[in-house]
Amino acid sequence: MSTVPTEELDAFRARAREWLAAVGPPEVPLDLDARFAVLRRWQRTLFDAGWLGLSWSKEAGGQALTHAHQLVFVEELVRARAPQPIGLIGLEVVGPSIDRYGTDEQRRDLLPRMLSGADIWCQGFSEPEAGSDLASLRTRAVLHGDHYVVTGQKIWTSWAHEAQWCALLVRTDPSVRKQAGISYLLVDMSSPGITTRPIRQMTGDREFCEVFLDDVRVPRSNLLGRENEGWAITSHTLGSERSGATLRRRVELEVALEDALGQLRSGGIDDDRVRAAVGRSHIAMRVLDAQTRRTTDRLAADTGPTPVDSVDKLVLNEAEQTVLAEIAGLLGPLRAVPGARPLGLRSDRWAHEHLYSRAASIYGGSAQVQRTIVAERLLGLPRG
Amino acid sequence: MADHDEYGAAVDDYLGRSYAERRHELLERGGWDPALASEFADLGWYSLAVPEEQGGLGVPLAALGPVFLQYGRHLVRGPMLEHSALPALVPGLAPATGARPPALVDPGVTDLWADDLGTITRRGPRLDGTVEAVRFAAQADRLVVVAGAAVCLVDPATRGVSIEPLAGADPGVEFARVEFDDVEAGTVLQDEDMVVRLRSWARLLLACELSGLARGSVERTVEHVARREQFGRPIGSFQAVKHLVADMHTRSTALENLCLAALGDADTAPPTELDLLACTAKAHASDVAVRVCEDAIQLHGGMGFTTESDVSWFYRRALALRGWYGDPTELQVRLGATLLDRIEEHA
Repeated sequence: MSTVPTEELDAFRARAREWLAAVGPPEVPLDLDARFAVLRRWQRTLFDAGWLGLSWSKEAGGQALTHAHQLVFVEELVRARAPQPIGLIGLEVVGPSIDRYGTDEQRRDLLPRMLSGADIWCQGFSEPEAGSDLASLRTRAVLHGDHYVVTGQKIWTSWAHEAQWCALLVRTDPSVRKQAGISYLLVDMSSPGITTRPIRQMTGDREFCEVFLDDVRVPRSNLLGRENEGWAITSHTLGSERSGATLRRRVELEVALEDALGQLRSGGIDDDRVRAAVGRSHIAMRVLDAQTRRTTDRLAADTGPTPVDSVDKLVLNEAEQTVLAEIAGLLGPLRAVPGARPLGLRSDRWAHEHLYSRAASIYGGSAQVQRTIVAERLLGLPRG
Repeated sequence: MADHDEYGAAVDDYLGRSYAERRHELLERGGWDPALASEFADLGWYSLAVPEEQGGLGVPLAALGPVFLQYGRHLVRGPMLEHSALPALVPGLAPATGARPPALVDPGVTDLWADDLGTITRRGPRLDGTVEAVRFAAQADRLVVVAGAAVCLVDPATRGVSIEPLAGADPGVEFARVEFDDVEAGTVLQDEDMVVRLRSWARLLLACELSGLARGSVERTVEHVARREQFGRPIGSFQAVKHLVADMHTRSTALENLCLAALGDADTAPPTELDLLACTAKAHASDVAVRVCEDAIQLHGGMGFTTESDVSWFYRRALALRGWYGDPTELQVRLGATLLDRIEEHA
């Protein structure tokens, strides 16, 4: 990727900021169904104004700009306290895979609708018996003529109950090394044989689902890339998704800390314990900021996934969990009362964000998996 | 910062070739060795950031960061901070001509223990008071004294100055108690920003040194666990060990990045921002270095507890530096106070 001149990015940032201020970001309702509807309309608004698919090709419905533009826009979105578009999984993970590995037909048929939010995508990767060890997934796809017949079960599939399409990892060859027998299918969620069941999270949200697939027929033309080469596609896009998500999460946390500081100031507290908590949060954010400067360099150089991504992930986990635990720690006994404002802090918001932060060291490769990668691939320690 | 890596690399190269085999012997003898100080002076290490018109190289102070990282990593002892940073920061303080360093007499090394450390009061050019622990005061040929918002230069031979060497527990440093009884300062610089700059650069460079101590501990530990065998295989193949080493590496790397980012911003930062950058780096460095060194000792087993292993030296050095210019908790409180007092910039 070539480097974009700073002035160009600054001008782009100014335009984004101006547009966001003029359009006014929507309020996000707590109720999940209402939230989904609002965020889907918001995606359409963003799409119509040309802010989505910034780094995607024109034929995919994108703007053919760069990853740097994309990062700037995401940052401005967060700073404007605007929500992300609802189809984030499509936009950040599945879309780039289709744009890179898909046929012309797949790109033309699927990507513009993904961008506009006409189609919402979910990602059927994890299974009950294939979490950290994703490559051991068992959902089978058997070719019968011009269709695959798919049977199995997926879990942690965000928005599956609302999605029109699913990026599904399936086993097409059980006889070879586990990574070598996986294929990547693009599945229409209205196909007969698909059942979804939402799972309630400890935050109260029901964003995740279980997905049951029972003899689901998927046209052979919906294979992404070649048969049995799904693992490579997955690794590539999970890597770039991880870096992009790290940068977005950094800005989200920065904004969260600013908000918490504002609320604490309005509460007018005068106490060393509060100061120390703020100090520790600030330090954690500066550590994350320094680390992500490196991430940005790697993204710009398009190095692809490296074991260094695992260091980033661990640093992000720690920063996220530190900041949100420090803030939530200041709620004291009123954490249990969502409507309260202890020390000026909004109890409901910080309790929710704190709970959500506990997922950071689990999703996208658990902290334990990352540590093993760091020890073996970066430090060269012997495999156990 | 990439531009400044060359100085760190040159120092690393020299220390790797000619310091490693002397390290233990030198450390055993305490913090002061005039021959070693002269050797480093001859190499030009003290004059890197000294302005050109005073005979230095005139590189930005930030360039000292990677150098201090190497000082930590190689467990260099002696008045590196005093020799390198003070002549670069204090106008009129010529670089050392021999081995003897300037010393920084500053009661502002700590907030919480201020009453235990002492105070200096100033009336015009005259100084009174005591500082109970000053690095290298007994070796110094000049004293840089922080008195309120002023920085004063004092010849240690001036009437009324008494300097009493103390037993010290930092393997790289000598301490002394400094007392002023109606001492006339040679120079008084009324400059509040300079006080902030002195303390901030002390914090930043100590943070880099601590970061180097952590890095050195990680390196020794990776070598050790890959080589040491128990139950018929290297202990580094056990997951409990592996994950601890991975955490040590991750924390140490993140600390280095924090230090480098802070240095990159520090040269042009106004005083309030400089103070924030420096307190942030120092607080985190103190936490991380001590923790990483503790894990290093744990993973070295019994050998880690002996003075024959480097990791015990890294640890004691980290512990001594942890509280110098602010321990983590007092700096966290200080950072929080600054941030909470700020006028809100966002809606």
